[in-house]
Amino acid sequence: MTASQSQTNGAYRTAMVSSHVRLCREHYRLTLQLRDMDHSKPGQFVHISPALLEKEQIGDCRLTTMDYRQPFLRRAFSIADHRQVSDGWECDVLYRVVGTGTRWMEKLGKGDAVSVLGPLGNHFPIDTKKKNAWMVAGGVGLPPMMYLAKSLAKADRDVIGFFGAQSADLLALALDGDDKPDTLAQHAVLADKNFAQSNVAIVVSTDDGSCGFPGHIGSALQAYHQNNPVANDELVVYTCGPEVMMRFVAGFCRERGIDCYVCMERSMACGIGTCQSCVVPIHDQDDEQGWRYQLCCTEGPVFSEKDISWDFPS
Amino acid sequence: MAKPSTENTQVDLSVDLAGLKLANPVMTASGTSGYGPEFAEHADISELGAFVTKAVSPEPRKGNPPERTVETKGGMLNAIGLANVGLERFVSEKVSFWKNRSTPVIVNVVGHSVEDFQTVCSRLDDVECIAGLELNVSCPNVADGLEFGTDPNRLKGLVESVRPLVKRAKLIVKLSPNVTDIAETARGAVDGGADVLSIINTVQGMAINVDTWKPMLANRTGGLSGPAIKPIAVCMVQRVYRAVARDANVPIIGMGGICDWRDAVEFFLAGATAIAVGTALFVDPKIPMKICDDLKTYVANRGLTSIREVIGQLK
Repeated sequence: MTASQSQTNGAYRTAMVSSHVRLCREHYRLTLQLRDMDHSKPGQFVHISPALLEKEQIGDCRLTTMDYRQPFLRRAFSIADHRQVSDGWECDVLYRVVGTGTRWMEKLGKGDAVSVLGPLGNHFPIDTKKKNAWMVAGGVGLPPMMYLAKSLAKADRDVIGFFGAQSADLLALALDGDDKPDTLAQHAVLADKNFAQSNVAIVVSTDDGSCGFPGHIGSALQAYHQNNPVANDELVVYTCGPEVMMRFVAGFCRERGIDCYVCMERSMACGIGTCQSCVVPIHDQDDEQGWRYQLCCTEGPVFSEKDISWDFPS
Repeated sequence: MAKPSTENTQVDLSVDLAGLKLANPVMTASGTSGYGPEFAEHADISELGAFVTKAVSPEPRKGNPPERTVETKGGMLNAIGLANVGLERFVSEKVSFWKNRSTPVIVNVVGHSVEDFQTVCSRLDDVECIAGLELNVSCPNVADGLEFGTDPNRLKGLVESVRPLVKRAKLIVKLSPNVTDIAETARGAVDGGADVLSIINTVQGMAINVDTWKPMLANRTGGLSGPAIKPIAVCMVQRVYRAVARDANVPIIGMGGICDWRDAVEFFLAGATAIAVGTALFVDPKIPMKICDDLKTYVANRGLTSIREVIGQLK
């Protein structure tokens, strides 16, 4: 099974901010209300920007003027949840303030208009032959896993979440229950109330040891796997986060023959395959040099670990 | 503004690009809308005046490693590196999309040498559904691409060498803004036999990451596009129009940061016969259609009947 092909074409819509909350020191959840975005799958993303096109009254006529604001280009965010509500649909995105685009997002308040293109890209394949599904995320790689957990739970998979961050105050989780993440990463616990709703137990790691396993999430994955062996052909791993982390997780899976799907992050201008910004190197036996570029926006963002040419270009 | 004396529906937006008839003067700019099918998923190609493909070179090109683009204040830098499928795959896989379409397609052509340009132009001139060939002599991303576009004599020589091979399609030359006087390179292109001039390509630029002290683009430098370059582009269109193109009767396709009808009108006034939308398509591919609608209203509100009455009317 390969990462699924893009099945739907995104549409350009105006959405309304319905809530905007801080989840931890640097992460926020923006909830967008959309009248008609009625489908999406975990792994897909939305491409958002300020609503730049405005109607200007010229004499008796209304003309479209493009207001210039930063950011000018759209910004891509994984869908963290997408659900039907009484008067349409709601879509959650999580973000961390890192640049011009996210500084604009930080200022958004309830009722503000946002231009949304999406859903875009392919999605995580759900392999119904494999009973166990492990999700491994670091930092802002968490959002697609929030959405994926629900789909995996519906598909009756046994799901474990492995979530890492630099420190406890950078974990965008809801760890307010009695169960605390295991510091040895030998057991997964229902420590996050949102994931617990999908019956997803989690393993947490922090670089500074302030929550869960001290170290990076790849080491926590190894520790858990050692203590809880699962037949490799009955396990699928999904990962999203910093590339160095995904590379480690991919290597862990490759060594054991475990299927692994990675959700790549690339900066992109268009999101629809025209600007050619968001390239990912892919193995290609037909190519003289053995690799070619694919586009993260239309041919990803989810790739099979086996397809990615991890060593080029670093 | 005066009350409309003309109904929008009666406004004539058609223009003539050296014999190539366009139903309206709003095109896409090369490299911003793929080969066609990608764009067609998000906007109606039949509503465009013309479509310009991404560059085609004799051999396939993978392009530059990422980062390939970065947003800057007022626009973006790109150093895609002319990634494309190459001439043979373009002909075998991409051309069929354009058969039996009413919208003219113009193919952007790039090469490392005179022979490269000749190979691509000669092959594509035989493909009947291709209405025009736009020579990309000005892309600042590939070191050897810059020279044709910055030296009037070399540019003239290149156009002269391609001209006899382009018998059917319109021969368009896209000029670089990275020169001291664009009228000189425009003169070189016109003397070499260009039918139409595209003005302007991206402006060479650079952005540096202040944390890592490295360039933001893997290619170090790139081409600046978007609203930031519009005044440069308008200035260069009027310069070429007045110094070369008007007297030589060579139409200009104006481009550089066009986002709405007001931007477009500036280019028409400066002397452009048609305009192309580029970077703004990344925000919304339907911007050309909105510009068309609004141009009709503008022309009607001015008490005119045709967009042609606006061209070159800068006072």
